[in-house]
Amino acid sequence: MARDKKFYLIGQRPRELLFYPPGSAPLRRRRLPGTRRHLLKWRSRANPKSLRQERRLADKRPLWWTIGLGALLVATPFLSNSMITIAAIFCMFAAINVLWTLVIGTAGIFSLATLAIVGIGGYAAAVLNVWLGLPWPLMFAAGGLAGLFVGGFLALPSTRLDGLYYALLTMGFAEICRVFVVQLKALGPTNGSINNVGSFIPKDWFLQRPGLLLGFGGAFLLLLLSLLIFRIVNSERLGMLLQTAREEEAYAEAVGIDYRRARMYVFLITSGGLGVIGAFYAMFYMSISPSIFSLDQLLLLFAMIVIGGLGRSEGAVIGTAVVVLIDKGMLELGPPRILLIAAIMLVVTLFANNGLVGIREQFRNYRNRKRSEARARRTEKGGEVMPEEAIEFTDKQEIYYRRFQKRLRDHLKTLITDELIEEHRKSPLGKHSDALNRVLNYFRRGEMADKYAIMRQPDGFHRYKIIAFSGERGAPPRLVDDRIYEDINEAYHAVFLLRVNDLLES
Amino acid sequence: MDVLGTIIHGLNLAAIYGLMAIGISILWSSVGMINMAHGATFAISGYAAWIASSAAKPLIAAAFGKTVMAKLAMAGVTVGAGTLAGAVFGAIIYLLAFLPIHDKPNFAVRSLIVTLAINLATVQILLWFFGPRQRGLPKLFGFGKFEILGVPIRYDQAGAILSTAIILGLVLFWLRVSRKGLEIRAMMQNPEGAVLSGISVRWTALPVTMLTGALAGLAAILLSQTIFVSPTAGALPLIKGLTIALLGGLGSVPGAVAGAVVIGFLEATVGALPFLGQRYVLFAQFLFIITVLIIRPRGLGGLLDETRE
Repeated sequence: MARDKKFYLIGQRPRELLFYPPGSAPLRRRRLPGTRRHLLKWRSRANPKSLRQERRLADKRPLWWTIGLGALLVATPFLSNSMITIAAIFCMFAAINVLWTLVIGTAGIFSLATLAIVGIGGYAAAVLNVWLGLPWPLMFAAGGLAGLFVGGFLALPSTRLDGLYYALLTMGFAEICRVFVVQLKALGPTNGSINNVGSFIPKDWFLQRPGLLLGFGGAFLLLLLSLLIFRIVNSERLGMLLQTAREEEAYAEAVGIDYRRARMYVFLITSGGLGVIGAFYAMFYMSISPSIFSLDQLLLLFAMIVIGGLGRSEGAVIGTAVVVLIDKGMLELGPPRILLIAAIMLVVTLFANNGLVGIREQFRNYRNRKRSEARARRTEKGGEVMPEEAIEFTDKQEIYYRRFQKRLRDHLKTLITDELIEEHRKSPLGKHSDALNRVLNYFRRGEMADKYAIMRQPDGFHRYKIIAFSGERGAPPRLVDDRIYEDINEAYHAVFLLRVNDLLES
Repeated sequence: MDVLGTIIHGLNLAAIYGLMAIGISILWSSVGMINMAHGATFAISGYAAWIASSAAKPLIAAAFGKTVMAKLAMAGVTVGAGTLAGAVFGAIIYLLAFLPIHDKPNFAVRSLIVTLAINLATVQILLWFFGPRQRGLPKLFGFGKFEILGVPIRYDQAGAILSTAIILGLVLFWLRVSRKGLEIRAMMQNPEGAVLSGISVRWTALPVTMLTGALAGLAAILLSQTIFVSPTAGALPLIKGLTIALLGGLGSVPGAVAGAVVIGFLEATVGALPFLGQRYVLFAQFLFIITVLIIRPRGLGGLLDETRE
C-alpha cells in the first residue's frame, strides 16, 4: 500500500526570491523626494512557521524595465551604424506607442490620429525653424504646443462619438492633413516635405557615427520621458478615475467622477507629448515628409501595439521592438517581411487574448485549469479527503475517519462475488460465511440517512415495500420503489442487493 | 458643369460603393465583425476575374467566334469568376477571423485585427505574384454611349447601375423571404435572442461572409470597368465602403444605401467642380462625414449598434 502511494504537491510554492534581513529591524523604505511614492514595492512579513522576517519584491516589473532598457543603452554604442539607426527608430516609435497606449488603454478613446498629431507637431516645429529661424531647443516647445492645440481640437468630439465612429473621424483627419500638406503651394517643389530642418545633431555629424549616437541618445531620453508620462498618468489620480469609468461608466458618474473630463485631460497630455515627439522626428531626420500621415505607416504602428498587447506599456515597447526589427532590420528580405508581420499579427491575435504580454497570464490560467482538471480526474477516491481539501478541515480526525472508510469499502468490494450474493439469497438470516458477515456488519453500521428499511403494508400481512429513512427527525422516509414483496426473505434480499449496489457505486 | 452627367456618374459610384458598404454593414450587424479584409476580397476577385477571362478568351473565341454569344459567355465567365472568388475568400475570412475566435473575449477588436492582417498579407502576396502592374478586365458592357433625354450615358455606367440595383434587390428579397435570410435578420436584430431560438451562429455566419464577399467581388468587376485591377486596388473601395457604412450607421442597410448615394454624388460633384477636382475628393468626403457624425453621432440611420452592445 505504501509503495505505490503518490504524493501530490498542494498549494502555492513560493516562487519568488526572498531576502532575510538581519535581526528584526522593521522595513525602512525611502520615498521619492517630494512624493509619497516608493521606488520599489517591498513587502515584508514574518514567516508563520519559522517566525523569521522575510522580504520580497512584490512587483518585479521595474527590475525588468531596468534590465531591458539598460541592456539597450549599453549595447547600442557597440553596434553597427545601421543598427544604431534601428535602435533610435525603435526608441522613437516606442515612445509614440507608449503615449498611444495611454489614449487607447487608459482613456479608452479609439483614436487613430496619433501619427497625424506627431506630423503636425513636426511640421509646425520645422516651419518655425526653417522660415522664422526658431532655434532648435524651442522647437520642442513649438511642437508640443501645436500638438496640444490639435489635441484640444480633436478631443472635443471624442466625448460625443464612440468607438469606431471616432476611429473613422481621426483616420479622416489624418487623410485631411496629408492632402492639405501635399496641396500647399509653398511646399510644392519638394512634394510636401520640408528639408534642412535645424537639429540638436550638428550638421557635419549628420549620418556620421557620433551624430547617430547622439540621435539614439535623444530618442532614448524621449522613450524614458514618455514612460514617465505613462506612469504618472496611468497609475496616479487620472488613471484611477478612468479605471473606475472603464469598469462601469454609470457607477463612476454616480460617485461623482467626471470621466469625460479625465479622458479629455489624458488626451490633451498625450497630444502635447506626441507634438514634442513630432518635433524630435523632424530634427532626427532633419526633414519631414507627408508620408507620416499615410495609412500604411499608421497600420504598421497599429500592428506594433496589437502584437505587444493593447493597453500596457510593456506591450507597446515589446511590440515595437518586434515590428521594427522585422521591418527595418530585415530590409534585404523585401516585401515578404510585411507578410511576416501580418503572420505574427494573425497568430498572436488568434491565440493570445491580449498580445504578447498577456501570454504569461493566459498560460498560467491555462495551467491552473489543466491542473484542476487533473485533480478532478483523480477524484475517484470514494469520499476520501483530497490533499487540497485537507487544509480546509479543522478537525483532522475527519480526514482519518474518511480514509479508513474508504479503505474499508475498497476491501469489501473485493469480497462481493456471485457466490456471496447467492448465499445471502438462500438464507438472509442465520449463520453466514466470514465474508458475508463482514459485508453485512458494514451495512448495519451505516449512517441513518438513506438507510433502507422494510415496511409492512397495512392492507395485508405478508406485503412489504422498501423505504429509505430521511435521517432527519420529523421528515418521513421515502419510498424506494413500488414493488410489493410477498415474502419477507425476498424483501431482505432486495435490501441487500440495493446496498451492494450502493457500495459498488461509491 | 454638366449637371445630368454628374448625376449619372454619382449614381454609378453610389452603386459600386453601395455594394461594398452594404456588405460591411450586414456583416457587422449580424456577425459583429468589422471586415477590414473587404479590400483584399475586392482585389482577389479582380485578379480571379482577370485570370479566368484571359484563360477563357481563346476557348470562347474558338466556340462562338465574334458573335453576341461570345460576349455573353465572356461576361458570364468574368462575373462568375469574380463573385465565386469573392465568396471563397469570404469563406476563408470566416475560417480565419470568425471561427477560431468568435466565442473568445474581445471578439470585435480581435476580428478587426485579424482581418487587417489578412488584408496586409493578401496585398503583399498579390504584389509578389502579379507585380504592381495594372491589368484590364474585358469590357462587359462594350464601349459606346447612348442618350436618354439628351444625356449621354456610357454603357458601363448604365450596366453598373442596373446590375447593382438588380443584385441588391435580389439579395434583399432573399433576406426577406428565405429561411436563411430570416435567420440572418434575426441575428441582426438580436444576436442573443437568435441563439436562444436555436439559430446557429456558426452556420449563419458562413453564408453571411460568403454573401458579403460575393458582393465585394461583384463591386470589383463593376469598378474594374472604369479603373484597372491592381494589388492595392482594394484600399480605396474599402475606405469608401467603411466610411459609407459608418455614415449610414453601422448595421442599417437603408442607411448604407442612403450614405452610398450621398457620397457618390458628393464625389461626382467635387470631382466635376473646376476649382476642386479629383484631388480634393477624399478631403471633401471626410469633412462631410465628420460634420454629419458630429451632428448625428450614430450616422444617418444607425440605431442598431446600441442593441449590439
